[in-house]
Amino acid sequence: MLASSTISKHHQRWIICFFFISLPFSEILASEPPYFETEIRPILREYCFDCHGATDELEGGLDLRLVRFMKSGGDSGMAIVPGDPAASLLLDRVHEGDMPPGESRVSPEKIAILEEWIRQGTPTLRAEPQKIGPGIPITEEERNYWAYRPIIRPDIPEFSGDERIRTPIDALLAKAMPEGLTFSSDADRFTLIQRAYHDLIGLPPTFEQIEKWQQHADSNWYDQLIEELMASQHYGERWARHWLDTAGYADSDGYTVADRSRDWAWRYRDYVIKSFNSDKPFDQFIIEQLAGDELAGPIVGDLTERQIELLTATGFLRMAADGTGSGDNSPEARNKTIADTLQIVGTTLLGSSVHCAQCHDHRYDPISHEDYFALRAVFEPALDWKAWKPPAARLVSLSTEQDRAEAAKIEDEVKQIAAEKVTKQAAFINEVFEQELLKYEEPLRSQLRTAYETPVKERDPEQTKLLASHPSINISAGVLYQYRPDAAEELKKIDAQIAELRAKKPIEQFIMALIEPPNHHPATHLFHRGDYNQPKQVVEPAGLTVTAAEGERVTFQDNNPELPTTGRRLAFARWLTSPENPLAARAIVNRIWMHHFGRGIVATPGDFGKLGSVPTHPELLDWLAQDFIDHGWSLKHLHRQILTSTAWRQSSFRHPAGEAIDADNQYYWRKSLQRVEAEILRDSILLASASLDPKLYGPPVEVAEDETGQVRIDSKQPRRSLYAKIRRSQPVGMLQTFDAPVMNVNCDVRASTTVAPQSLMMLNGEFVLEQAGLVANRTIELAATDSQQTILFDLSQLPKLPSPIWSYGTGEVNDETGTVIKLVELPHFTGSSWQGGPKAPDSVFGWVILNANGGHPGNRKLPAVRRWTAPADGQVSIAGTLHHGSENGDGVRGRVLSAGGQRGRWQVQNNSTPTNVSQFTVQTGEAIDLVVDCLENENSDSFNWPLKLTFTSIGGDAVVHDSVTAFRGPPEDLSHLPGQITVAWKLILARSPSQDELKMSLDFASQQLKLMSYNSAGTATDRSPGKQVLVNICQMLMNSNEFLYIE
Amino acid sequence: MNSHFPINSRRQFLQQTGMGVGAVALQWMLNRESATAKPPVLKDKPHNDLLPRAPHFEPQATAMISLFQHGGPAHMDLTDPKPELSKHHGMDYSGDIQFSFVNEASKKLFGSPFLFQPHGECGTELSELLPHTAGIVDDLCLIRSMHTGANGHEVSIRYFHGGIPAVLGRPTFGSWLTYALGCETQDLPAFMVLSDPGGHPVDGATNWSNGFMPSMFQGTVLRPKEPRIFNLQPPKHLAGPFQRQNLDFLQTLNRQHLEAHPGESDLEARIASYELAARMQTAASDALDISQETASTQSMYGLDQPETHEYGTRCLLARRLVERGVRFVQLFHSGQPWDNHSNIKTGLASICKKTDQPAAALVKDLKQRGLLDTTMVHWGGEIGRLPVTQDHGSPEKAGRDHNGQGFSIWLAGGGIRGGMTFGQTDEFGHRAVENIVTPNDFQATVMHQFGLKHDQVVFTHGNQQQIITANRPARVVEEIVT
Repeated sequence: MLASSTISKHHQRWIICFFFISLPFSEILASEPPYFETEIRPILREYCFDCHGATDELEGGLDLRLVRFMKSGGDSGMAIVPGDPAASLLLDRVHEGDMPPGESRVSPEKIAILEEWIRQGTPTLRAEPQKIGPGIPITEEERNYWAYRPIIRPDIPEFSGDERIRTPIDALLAKAMPEGLTFSSDADRFTLIQRAYHDLIGLPPTFEQIEKWQQHADSNWYDQLIEELMASQHYGERWARHWLDTAGYADSDGYTVADRSRDWAWRYRDYVIKSFNSDKPFDQFIIEQLAGDELAGPIVGDLTERQIELLTATGFLRMAADGTGSGDNSPEARNKTIADTLQIVGTTLLGSSVHCAQCHDHRYDPISHEDYFALRAVFEPALDWKAWKPPAARLVSLSTEQDRAEAAKIEDEVKQIAAEKVTKQAAFINEVFEQELLKYEEPLRSQLRTAYETPVKERDPEQTKLLASHPSINISAGVLYQYRPDAAEELKKIDAQIAELRAKKPIEQFIMALIEPPNHHPATHLFHRGDYNQPKQVVEPAGLTVTAAEGERVTFQDNNPELPTTGRRLAFARWLTSPENPLAARAIVNRIWMHHFGRGIVATPGDFGKLGSVPTHPELLDWLAQDFIDHGWSLKHLHRQILTSTAWRQSSFRHPAGEAIDADNQYYWRKSLQRVEAEILRDSILLASASLDPKLYGPPVEVAEDETGQVRIDSKQPRRSLYAKIRRSQPVGMLQTFDAPVMNVNCDVRASTTVAPQSLMMLNGEFVLEQAGLVANRTIELAATDSQQTILFDLSQLPKLPSPIWSYGTGEVNDETGTVIKLVELPHFTGSSWQGGPKAPDSVFGWVILNANGGHPGNRKLPAVRRWTAPADGQVSIAGTLHHGSENGDGVRGRVLSAGGQRGRWQVQNNSTPTNVSQFTVQTGEAIDLVVDCLENENSDSFNWPLKLTFTSIGGDAVVHDSVTAFRGPPEDLSHLPGQITVAWKLILARSPSQDELKMSLDFASQQLKLMSYNSAGTATDRSPGKQVLVNICQMLMNSNEFLYIE
Repeated sequence: MNSHFPINSRRQFLQQTGMGVGAVALQWMLNRESATAKPPVLKDKPHNDLLPRAPHFEPQATAMISLFQHGGPAHMDLTDPKPELSKHHGMDYSGDIQFSFVNEASKKLFGSPFLFQPHGECGTELSELLPHTAGIVDDLCLIRSMHTGANGHEVSIRYFHGGIPAVLGRPTFGSWLTYALGCETQDLPAFMVLSDPGGHPVDGATNWSNGFMPSMFQGTVLRPKEPRIFNLQPPKHLAGPFQRQNLDFLQTLNRQHLEAHPGESDLEARIASYELAARMQTAASDALDISQETASTQSMYGLDQPETHEYGTRCLLARRLVERGVRFVQLFHSGQPWDNHSNIKTGLASICKKTDQPAAALVKDLKQRGLLDTTMVHWGGEIGRLPVTQDHGSPEKAGRDHNGQGFSIWLAGGGIRGGMTFGQTDEFGHRAVENIVTPNDFQATVMHQFGLKHDQVVFTHGNQQQIITANRPARVVEEIVT
C-alpha cells in the first residue's frame, strides 16, 4: 500500500549532498549504470522479497521479482517509473522509512543505487523471462556464482625450464602473480623438517630427528620425510583435531547449565583419528559420517567390527549441543539441536551458510527457505523432533551375547550368596535378641518378645510404646555391629565377595550414534519464520536447488529397496560426494590448504556464499578439488601435492620488493609465519620435558578447576591435548587462552591472537612452571651422562660468581677493637650444618657448629662466627633473637662485630634476648660478624640466633637478608652449567645454541646468581640457585617466539 | 591525540620506563602511536591494536561505566511516577497489552506501592526505594521513554549490546568503543567486565562478546573473587627483580629472533605483549587494591554493610579502573535480579537496597574527583515492566510482567545534561509516547559523546561493512547533551 506522494525537495537535496560526500558511489556512478540483475536485485532480495515475491501472498499485490512487475505495480499503482525517481513510489516508501516494515532500514548508499537505476531507465542485462514460477527464481548470475559452478580442471600453464615451478600448484600460483613477484628461495633444511613435523604430526622434531634428516644423504630425503611422517600414528591425531573443530566435537552435551558429560563421544574422536591414519577415502569418510547406520545394515546379534565403525561414524551427527537429556527436553531445545546439526553439515560439507535460510529465504545466497527445510527433511527421520530421543536413548550398547551370558551367570551366583547372607543375618539378629531378652524378667520378657515378633504395622500402641521404652532389644541389621562386631564383620565380608564378583562382569560400553528407526517417514513441514509453532507445507528431501540445472531438482526418495530406513541420508551423502557435485570437494581441499598455509584459498571455509570471501585462486581451488577426486579423495595424496610444491617449501622471509607489491602475501611469494595452535604448544612443552605420554585413543583425560578456579588437564595423564576432555562450560584455561575454540556450534577458522593473558599464562601459569622444572631436571640428567657436552666448553666462560654473602667459621676476637682477627672457615658441611669434620668435636675445630638457626660454639678460643659481607655500600640494621635453651652450662654470649667495632653484645643462659642493632653504614666487602662464644665452658651451649639484616644499598630498595633462609652449604659446582644450557636448547628448540647465545645465557645466569646470592627469595623450595637459573632459562626458551612460531 | 601523555612526553615515558622493551618493540610501539591520528573510517582495513585513537571530533566523554541492570527494573515503581495508575489501581486496563506469562496474566492495573517525592534542585520525582539516587538526581539525565519494542529479555539485551534485537554474534558496545578509540592505558585491558559472584547474567558471555571483531576487543572479565585476573602474579620466587631478569633474557632472545625475521609484526606484537603483561602485573594489582581507599570512601560505597558490600566493591573498582585509563567498564548481575514477576514489594526493595547506594556513590565519587566531566555513567536494564498485575493469588505476591514498550534508564557525566528528565510514557507507564529513545539512539548518543559518528566507526567483516547500529535508524538525542 504505497502512499501516493511525490518525493519531497528536501529529500532530493539530501540525496545530492550524499553523492558528493560519498566517494565510492560517485565512482560507481561515473562508470556503468547499475543493472537490475547485478545491483538492484540483491538489494530487493535482502529487504523486500519476503513480502513481495517470495510467497504466493503478495503484500499490497506488489511483486518485485521482475522489472515489468515493478512497472505494472500493485494495489497502489506503479512501483517504479523508469527515468523518474521522483515519481517512483518504491523509492519514496524506502526513503520515508515506511518500507521495509519493522526496524531494519535500507542504507543511504543502497537507496542511492536504486535511485540511479531508476534515473537511468531501469536497465536490465538481458530480457526478462516470459514465465516465472513461484518463489524467488534463481538467476543466471546466481547459478553462475563460482561456488555452484562445476569443477573445471584448469589448464596448467607451461613454465618449462623454471625449476621453481615444481608442481601444478606452483604453475597456477605463478600464473596469478603480478609482475615483479616470484617465489622465494627454498627454506633451509632445518626449517623444512620443522614445518613438515608441525603440519603433519603436530609435534616438533627432536634434536636427534633434526640431525637424522639434516644428514640424510638420499636425494629424495624430503619425500621420505613426508612419507615417514604421514605413516606416523600421530598424523591421524594432528588432522583429527582439525576435523573435530569443524564437526564441533565436545565431551559434554551443552545447552543447559548442567552441561552433562558425553561419556562416549571419544569413540567418534578415535574413529576420526583412525580414518585419517588409514587414509580412508574422504568421500567414504563423509558417507560414513552422514549415513553409517544406513550402511551398517540390520543389526542381528552382536555388532560386527565394521558395524561398530559405521555406527561410530554417525557420531558426527550427534556433535551438536543437545540439552534434551539434561533438563530441557522442550520442542525448542530439540529443534535447536536439529538446527545446529544442519549448520555443522552445511558449513563443513557444503561450504554454505544454509542455516541462514532457517527463518526466511537466504538474504544473500540463492538458498530458499524451502531449500533449508528440504535439507532438514533429509535428517528428519533420524532427528524427528516429534518422536525425539534424548542422548542417553541414542546410545548403542557394545555388549555381546557372550558378555550378557557372562553377566547373567555372575548375577546368579550373586543371588545365591545374597540369600545366604540374609539367612545368616537373621540368625545373628535372633541370637542377639534372645541374649538381650534374658536381661528382663518375666512377664516383661514375654511381653517384649510378643511385641518384637509382631509385625510393625500390627502392633498395638502399647506394644509400640513398650518397644520404644526398651530400645536395646530393637535389634536390626543396622545396629547389629553394636552388639556383635564379629557378626557384622562376617556379613561385610560377604558384601565384599559380592562386589568382587560383580566387578568381574564385563563393563558395558556404548557408542554415541545416530540411528534411523526403520519405516519411519515423518513429514517435514516448513516452519514459517523458523517457528516450529507455525508449520506450513510439507517439504520433500532434496539438494540445494541452485546446484541442479534450471528447472530440475535433486531429490532423495524413500525408495531404496535394500534399506529398511528411508535411505535419505545415504542418498544425500552419495549426491554430495558424486564427482559432479562441486561443493564438498572444494570445501575439503580448501580446509586442507588453510591448515598448511594459515589461510584458505577461500578465507571463509564455512561459507562460500556472498557473505563469505571469494577465492583468491579459483583455478587452483578447482585443480586441487579435481585432483583430489581423481586420486580417490586421498588426503595423504593432497598433502603430498602441497608439501612438494615450491609454494610450501619456500622461505618465509620478507623482502622489500615483495612487501611493496603484496604485503599481505595474497600471492604466496613467501610462506607465511604461523603461530602454533594451543594444543601443539602444550604438546610441545610436554615433549620437551619428556612427560608426553604418546598413548593413542581412549576415554578423555579429566579436567578440573584448580584452587584459583582455572580449568586444568589432569597432570597425572600428560597425553596429547586432543585427548583432554572438552567440556563446553569448562574450557581448559591454557588451551582457550591460545584460541582453542569453545564449542557453541562448531569452529570454522581459529583465531590466532596475541594478548597479554597468554604471556601471563606462559610466565606465571602453573603448568608452564612445572614443566620448566621438569625440562631442567632432564637437562641436568642428560648433561651429566653426555660427556661430550662439557668438553666443548671453555670453562673460563663460566659465570663469575661474587664471593658468597654469608660464610661460616671461627676465629679469635680482638676484644679491644671489637673485631674478628681472622676468620677460619669451617671445612665440612654435613648437609644441614657446617663443622670441623664429619664428627663433632673435631680435633681442630672442637665443638664449633653452625646451622640454619644457630649452632654451638667451641672452647673459649673457638667462637662460632657467622659472617655477612656487604655486597655494596649502604646501610644495615639487624634484628634477631639469641636463645640458649639448656638448663645446664653457663650460657653463651653473642656479639655483633664489624670494622667499626662492636655493635652489640648479649648474654643468655636458658633464656632469650632480642638482639637488635640500629642502622649503621657499611662499605662494599665489609664483614659483619655474628660471634657466639661459650663464656667459661662449652658444655650445653647449643644456641639459636635467627637474624634479619636489612640492607639498603645507596639508591636501592631495602632488602632483607635472612640468616635462616639464606643458610647454604658449599657453593654449587657450576661447571656443568654450559652443558646444561646447551641441552636445554636442544630439548626445547631442537638445536644447539650459537656461541653468542650460550654466552648471553651464561651472562644472564651470572647476573641472576649474583642477585640470588644476596636475595634468597629467588629460589623455589628445594632448589639451589644454579638449578633455579637453569629452570628459568628453560621457561624463557619455552616462552620464546622461536618456540611459538613456525617459519 | 587524546592521551594522558602528549606524544613527546609519552615517547620519553616509554623510553625511560621501557624496562627492557626491545628497541624494535619500542620503535614499533612509537610508530604505531604516531599513526594514531586517524580514526577508523569507512573502507579502512580493521586494525588490530588498542592504542589510543583520536575520535572524529572533540569528545566530552573519554570513559564509561555501565551499570547494567538485567531483568527489567519496574520504572513505575522507581523512576516514573504514575498518579493515574495509582488512581485506577485495581481497575481493568483498557488498552492492548502483551504478556509473557499468560497463565498469570491480568489486566488489573497495579498502582505503585511505593511513595514518590521530588528531589534536588531539579525536582525530579523518584521512589522511596532510591534514597541515594535521589541525592545525585541533579547530576542525572533520566530518560523515561526507552523503547525496544520487544518484551523478551534476550531480544532486548542483544539490542542494547549488539545493535540488533535478538541477533547474536555481533560485537558488543564495549567492543565498538574500544575498537574506535583504543585505550588510554596500555597497562590494563581496554574493556573490562566486573562479574557477579553469583555467576553470569542471562545470556552469559555474549553480553561482552567481540562478535566478529578480533578477540582483543572482547570484554576482559575480572573475576568476582581472588584471583581477579588469572596468572597475574608470579610465584614468590619469581616475583620482582627475578622475573624482570627473566623477561630481559626472553626479550633478548626474541629480539635476536626478530632481527632474523624482519617485518614480522606478529613477532613484534608478542614482544610487546610480554611487556604489557609485565606492566599489567603492577598496574592491575594496584588498581584492584581497594585497601588504598579511605574508610570514608569505602563507607560511601557501602562496603561496611552486608547488603551493599559486594556491589559497592565493584563500583569502587570500576572507578579505580577508569581512573587508570580503562575505556569501558561494565558491571553485571548474576541472572536477572530486576525480573520481579512476583513479590515485587520485597523483591524490588531488596535489589534496590543492594544497588542504590553503590551506584549513587560512584557518581558522587567521580564528581568529587573531577572525573565525572569525562566519565559517563549509565544505569539501566534492557526493558521495564507492565503497569498491570502479574497475578499470584494474593496481592502481597503480586508482580509485574515484562515491558519493552516503555521504561527508564539514567545517564550521568561525560557531557550529559544533569538534572533533567527526557521523554514520557503514557499515563499508566505502559508505552513510551514522547521523545522515544531506542537502544540504537542510545548507542548513537553515547558514541557522539565520545566524539564519534556512530555510522563512521566501521568494521569490515568479510565483505560487509558493519557499524554498531547495523544501518538501523539511530539519532543522537541532542536534547540531553550539553
